[in-house]
Amino acid sequence: MSYLYYPGCSLESSAKSYDVSTRWVFQSLGKELVELEDWNCCGATMYMSTKETISLVFSARNLALAERMGGDVVAPCSSCYTILNKTNKILKENFILKAKVNQSLKREGLSYHLKVKARHPLDVLVNDVGIDAIASRATHSLEGLNIAPYYGCQIVRPEGVFDDPENPTAMDKLFEALGGNNVYFPVKVRCCGGMLMTTFPEVALKLNKEILECAVENSADCIVTTCPLCQINLDAYQKKISKKFKIKVHIPILFFTQLLALSMGSTPKEAGLGQNLVPAGEKILGGRL
Amino acid sequence: MSRDKNVKVGVYICHCGFNIAQTVDVYEVTGFASRLDCVAVAREYKFMCSDPGQELIIKDIKEMGLDRVVVASCSPLMHEKTFRKACETAKLNRFLFQMSNIREQCSWVHQKKEEATEKAKALVKAAVMRVVRQAPLDPVVVKVNPATLIVGGGIAGIQAALEIADSGNKVYLVERDSTIGGKMAKFDKTFPTLDCAACILTPKMVSVAQHEDIELLSLSEIEDVQGFIGDFTVKVKKKARYVSEKCTACGECVKACPILVPNSFEENQVARSAIYRTFPQAVPNTYLIDKEERPPCRETCPIGQEAAGYIALVAKGRFAEAARLIRRDNPLPFVCGRVCYHPCESECSRRFADEPLAIKNIKRFVMDWELKNKALVEVPKAEKKKKEKIAIIGSGPSGLACGHELALRGYSPVIFEKHEVAGGMLILGIPEYRLPREILNMEIDFIKRMGVTIKTNMALGKDFVIDDLFSQGFKAIYIATGAHKSLKMAIPGENLEGVLHGVDFLRDINLGRPQPVGKRVAVVGGGNTAVDAARTALRCGAREVTVLYRRTRKEMPAEEAEILAAEEEGVAIQYLVAPVEVLGKEGKICGVRCIRMELGEPDSSGRRRPVPVEGSQHDLAFDTLLIAVSQEPVVDFLTGKFPLNVTKWSTLEVNPETLETNIRGVFAGGDVVLGPATVIAAMSDGKRAAEAIDKYLNNEPLADFTTPRAKKLAKRDESFRPHRYAPAFKETPRVPRTKMSEISLEKRLKTFEEVELGLTEEEAMKEAERCLNCGICVECQECVRVCEPKAIDHRMKDEIKEIKVGQILLATGYATLNSKALSLYGYGQFDNVYTSLEFERIVSSTGSTQGRIVLKNGQEPRAIGIIHCVGSRDEKYHPYCSRVCCMYALKFAHLIKDRTDAEVYEFYIDMRAFGKGYEEFYSRILEEGVNVIRGKVAEVVQSGWSKKEEGTLLIRCEDTLIKKYREIPVDMVVLCNAIEPQPDAGDIQRLFSISRSPDGFFLEKHPKLDPTATATDGIYIAGCCQGPKDIPDSVAQASSAAARILAYISKGEIEIEPIQAYIDPELCSGCRLCNDLCPYTAIKFSEDEGISKVNEALCKGCGTCVAACPAAASQQNHFRDEQIFAEIEGLLGG
Repeated sequence: MSYLYYPGCSLESSAKSYDVSTRWVFQSLGKELVELEDWNCCGATMYMSTKETISLVFSARNLALAERMGGDVVAPCSSCYTILNKTNKILKENFILKAKVNQSLKREGLSYHLKVKARHPLDVLVNDVGIDAIASRATHSLEGLNIAPYYGCQIVRPEGVFDDPENPTAMDKLFEALGGNNVYFPVKVRCCGGMLMTTFPEVALKLNKEILECAVENSADCIVTTCPLCQINLDAYQKKISKKFKIKVHIPILFFTQLLALSMGSTPKEAGLGQNLVPAGEKILGGRL
Repeated sequence: MSRDKNVKVGVYICHCGFNIAQTVDVYEVTGFASRLDCVAVAREYKFMCSDPGQELIIKDIKEMGLDRVVVASCSPLMHEKTFRKACETAKLNRFLFQMSNIREQCSWVHQKKEEATEKAKALVKAAVMRVVRQAPLDPVVVKVNPATLIVGGGIAGIQAALEIADSGNKVYLVERDSTIGGKMAKFDKTFPTLDCAACILTPKMVSVAQHEDIELLSLSEIEDVQGFIGDFTVKVKKKARYVSEKCTACGECVKACPILVPNSFEENQVARSAIYRTFPQAVPNTYLIDKEERPPCRETCPIGQEAAGYIALVAKGRFAEAARLIRRDNPLPFVCGRVCYHPCESECSRRFADEPLAIKNIKRFVMDWELKNKALVEVPKAEKKKKEKIAIIGSGPSGLACGHELALRGYSPVIFEKHEVAGGMLILGIPEYRLPREILNMEIDFIKRMGVTIKTNMALGKDFVIDDLFSQGFKAIYIATGAHKSLKMAIPGENLEGVLHGVDFLRDINLGRPQPVGKRVAVVGGGNTAVDAARTALRCGAREVTVLYRRTRKEMPAEEAEILAAEEEGVAIQYLVAPVEVLGKEGKICGVRCIRMELGEPDSSGRRRPVPVEGSQHDLAFDTLLIAVSQEPVVDFLTGKFPLNVTKWSTLEVNPETLETNIRGVFAGGDVVLGPATVIAAMSDGKRAAEAIDKYLNNEPLADFTTPRAKKLAKRDESFRPHRYAPAFKETPRVPRTKMSEISLEKRLKTFEEVELGLTEEEAMKEAERCLNCGICVECQECVRVCEPKAIDHRMKDEIKEIKVGQILLATGYATLNSKALSLYGYGQFDNVYTSLEFERIVSSTGSTQGRIVLKNGQEPRAIGIIHCVGSRDEKYHPYCSRVCCMYALKFAHLIKDRTDAEVYEFYIDMRAFGKGYEEFYSRILEEGVNVIRGKVAEVVQSGWSKKEEGTLLIRCEDTLIKKYREIPVDMVVLCNAIEPQPDAGDIQRLFSISRSPDGFFLEKHPKLDPTATATDGIYIAGCCQGPKDIPDSVAQASSAAARILAYISKGEIEIEPIQAYIDPELCSGCRLCNDLCPYTAIKFSEDEGISKVNEALCKGCGTCVAACPAAASQQNHFRDEQIFAEIEGLLGG
C-alpha cells in the first residue's frame, strides 16, 4: 500500500527541512510517498473554531481526494494531522454535517465516505515500519547524543490515536533504539504557544522559555519535534527569550525526521539541515560536514 | 382458557396525570377498547393506582361480573402488584389480570400524539386478546430457609451479620481476605467525629468471631450459586491457610520466614513475610501462609528437593538451616551438589528473565559449608525400630537412597554390593575430578551410621541367589543393580586391540587399575560417559582426544558445563560424524573409517535423526578407541532360576508406581529398570521402593505414596510472573549467573583433583538472591520447625463447602482507581505522591510509619497538597462522585495540622459536606487554617526542570474563585482517587444473576424506594458494592438489608409465581430432548410411562424446554403458546 503524502502549507515554506527529510527517510526505507494531487489548505485549528462547517469542507476535500486515489493520508504537520482526524471523527458522529459537507463536495464531483485514515509519519514509522527495522537500517549511532523529544500538544491529543495522550513515548523509543540518550523531559507535551506568538507574544515567549529551559537544564544537545509550528516557535525566538528572561539558551531544534535521516546515513543537505536557525552543531552532525 | 364469548373484560386506561394523557389520547384509546370483542366496559381515569382508581375496578368486577381485567398504565414492575391485589379483593384470580404499559412504551418515547395513541391501542388490544385466554392459577408457596449468606466481611457485612444473627438465625459470613474488617480496618480516624476506626470496628469484629450463630468463612470465595429465594445452595471454596486453629499467634514463625513480599494491608508500602497475620486485631486471629503454585524447581525434582526453600535460606545467610533442609529430602546431598544433572535448573523460572539459577552450585556450597563448619546435624534416628530384614542389591545411588529411607522408617537394611567398593556408578562411572572419593565415602559412611549395613564383594547370581535371601529371613528385596554393560556399535573391527568401552575404561581407572591409552584417542558417543572418558583419557596421558558424535551440539545429551570443560582441556569434538568401521593393522587399531551425517526427521526422543551422507566416507588415524554409545543392564543372572520379567531393552519390568516386580516381595528400580538414566532418578526410585516396602511389610495397600516423583510442569513463557507481587519474567531486572572458580588448566590435565572449587559465601548468597521466589512460600520448613503448638501444615488443601441458605446479602465493597492511570498527577513517578489509602496507612498509628507524617527521606513535609476528584466526576474515568473524598480529605487536613506544622492545600471542585455534622466539620477545618482552592488540578510536576531539584513538587491549577492560574509548591501530594467497583464485580454479577448499573456497581431494585433489594428475589446488596458511600450510609443500608431478610425469615414462607412448565402426556413422544437442556434438572424421564415429566418443585419457569420441544408438548403456565400468539396477533392489529 502506498501512503498519500499531504505536506500542507508549512512544509512548503517554513518547514521545508521537514519535507526534505521526511521524503528522504521514507524513500530510504522503501516506503513510497505519493503526493496527494491538488491538495488544499487544512483549515488549521483556528478556522475550525470559528467556522466549523466550512473548515470541515476544506478538510474533507483533502480526505475525499485521498479516498479517490486510495490509501491513507500521511500528514507530517501536527495541525493538518489533528484537523484530518478531527474531521473524520465529527463526520462519523454527525451524519447531518456529513451530508452537508458532501453536498458541497458534490460541486467538484467529489464525495467522502470516511474510508481514509489520517496518519502521522511518526505513527507510520514506529508502527508500520517498526523500530527494529529502522534500527537495523541505521548507519550512524546516536550514542552520546542527549535528546529532548518534544511532542507538542496536537499529535497525541485529544484522542491519543497511536500513543498515550499524556505521556507519549514513540519518539523516545525510536531514538533509544538508535543509540541516543533521552534526557529527563517532563514538558514533552506542553503547549508551545502556537499562534499566540503573533497575537500575545508575552504568553507565548514564557511558554517557550519553559520548554527550552527544561531541555538546557537537563543537558540536552537538541530538542526534537514533530510539528512545524513548535519548531519555528522554539527555534526562532531563542535570542529574544535569552534577553527577556536573562537566561542563556542556544539549542538546535530538529524535526524528528532530520535526526532520523542523519542516523540512517543521509548527508546534512538530505536531512534539510541548512534551514534550521540555530545550526546543528558538530555533536549532531558527527563529523559529516 | 376459553374463548367464550361470554367472557367479560374490563379495560382501564390511566392518564398518569399528564404523563400519559399529554401524549396519548386516552379517550380515543378508551373508545377503541370498548369496541373490542369481549370487552364489557372500558374506562379512563386520572390515576388508576390511586385508591379511587382501584375502587373503580373492584366495583365493576362486583357489579358487572367482570371475569378479566386489563389496566393500561405504567410498567408492571411499578404497579402490577397493586392491581392484582385489587382484583383479588374483588375475588378475581390475580392471573386473570393483564397489564399494558402505555407510559414507558408510548407516551415517554413518542413525540407525535397520533403515533403514541395508535401504539397504545395496539398494546391494549394485545392485552385484551391475551387476557381472555388466561386461566386462574394458584401461587406456589415455598418455605424460607432461615439461614442467610453474607458475602463480604467489611463493615456492611459485619453489621448485617450481627443484626441477623442476634435474632437467633444462622448466618454464614464469607470473606475472601484472611480477616474481616474490610477497608475500614485500614483507616485511622473516621469523619466527622474523628473517633478511631479500630476502636469502633474491632469490637464488632470480635463479636462476629464469638457469635454462636455466625459461621465465619474467611479466605473463602463463592464458587457456585443455585436455587431461588428461600432455598439457595451455595458452594464456597475455602482456601487453605496452612496454619490450623492451634496457632497461638506468638509470631515466632514470622521471625523464621526468609521470604518478604509487599504487605497489601499496608498498601504495599512495607514488606511482610510469607507467613503472616494481616494486622494484630485480625479476625480470625490465626496466621496464614501466602502460597501460590509450588516452585518449578521443587516440582520437577525427582526427589522433591525443596530447592527454592534452601535457596531462600542461603540468600539470608542461614546456611545451617539450609543444610538441614537439604538433608531432609536428600540422602546424598554432597553427591547431588556435584554431579546431579539438575532438572531444577532446566525448569528454573529465572531462565525466562536471563539465566537459570546455579541451584546445584548453591547446594554444593551449603554442604561444603556444613562440612567446613562441622555443623552436621546428628544422624537422624527413627522413632520406632522395626525388626523386618530387608535386602538391597546394589550400592549405587538407588540402593543407597533406599537404604537411607528405610533407616529413617526404622529398618536396618543390608546392601549387597558386587564390587569391592560401595557406591555403584557414583564410584565406578564418575571420575574423581568431578566427585572426590573422600566426599563420596563420607556420604556412604553417614548412611551406614544410620543403621544400614553394606556387604561388598557379594555378587547376586554368583555369591548368592534370591532364594538364599528369603531363606535367610529377608522379608523384602530391592534390586538396584544398575546398567553397566556397554553396548557395541555393531561395526567391523570392534574386537581389535585398542578398542575399549567407556564404562569399562572408567571403572578400571576408578578402581585404581591404570589403563594404557595411546597418544591419539577417539571417543564415540555424546553422553556424559563419553565426555568423562575423554577427559579421563587426557589425564592418563593421551595427547589428542577426539569425541565423535553423530548429531550436533544442540542434541548432545552430556551436560553443557562438562562439554565446555572438556573443550577447555583440549578435547576436540567432531559433530555429525559416525564410525562405520574400525581399521586395524596386525590386530591392532590404526584408525576409524567415518561417514558424515546430516539431521533428518525427529525420532521418538524428539531429537532429529542423523542420516548418513552418501559418499562422505573418510578415514581418521587413532591408536585407541573408546566406545561410549550407551549402556544396558545385565539381567541374565535374574532370569534363570528366578523368572523375573525382562523387557526387550533388557530392563526389569516393574509397576512404575509401586516398583513391584512380578515376584511378591521383590522390588526393583534405578538403571536396571530405567536403562542408563540419572543419579537423581535412581535416588527417586530408591526412596519410592523404601516406601513401597514399608507399606508391603505393614500389609498396607500400595497406594497413596508420599515420596515424590518428578512432575510435568505446565508450559510457561516470558510473560508469566513468578507470583502475583512480582513483575513478569521479561520485566525482571537482568542479573548474570555466578560462576564457580576452578583449579588451573595445567593442574587439571595432570591430576584427578576436583576441578570446580565451589562458591564462596558471598557468591552463594549473591546467586541465591537471584531467586524469584516462585509461588511466594518456598516451603523451607523453618516455620514448621519453630512452631511450638505444631499448628503449621504445608500439605493442607483447599476445601469446597456446600451451604444451604434462604437469602443472600452481597456486601463485596469497592476498589480504588489505579492512580497510575492519571499520569499527570505524578503517581508512581514522584516519591511523595500518595493515594488516599496509602496516606490512611501513613497516618495510622499501626501503619508503615507508626503514624508519623514524613517524606520518603524522613523529613517532615513543609506543605501538603490534597487533590480531590482524582478520576471521579471526570468523563475520562468515572462520571460519578465518589461521595467520601471531600470529607476524608478534610479529615486528612485535620490530622496533618494536628501532627505537623505543614501548610495544607485542598484542591476541590465542589465541597460536598452533605451529612450530619459534615458542614460543621468543614467549618472547623477552615478555622484550623487549611487552604482550600476551588479548581481542578491540571498537573503535578517537579518544581525545577532538572532531576537535580528532585523533591519539591508543584501543583498547577486554576483557582476558579479568583480566576487566576496558580502554582503551589508542596512536598507531598495526596490523591483522592475514585471509588470504583471491585475488578471482579462482573463475576459476582453472573454468579448471583443480578444486574449492574452503567457505572459498574450492583443495581438496586429501585433507586429510591428499594435501594437494598435487587431484581433477583432473595438477593440483597449493601455498602459500596451498590455505589460509593460512607460508613454511616453503609451501616444503615446493611441494617435495612438485615431487616428485609429478617422479615422473610419471620414469615417463614414466600409465594412465588406459578409459572412452571408442564408436559402434556398426550403429546410427549419421549424424545428426552428437554431432559438434558433443563438447567435445573427438573425434568426426568419416566421409564414406566415412556414420557418426560416436570418436577414442579425444581422448575424455575425459564422456558427452555418449551422452546426446545419438537412436539409442543411442553408448555409453561401463564406463558402458553396460545396466550402469546394471541398477544402478538393483537399487537399486529389482527
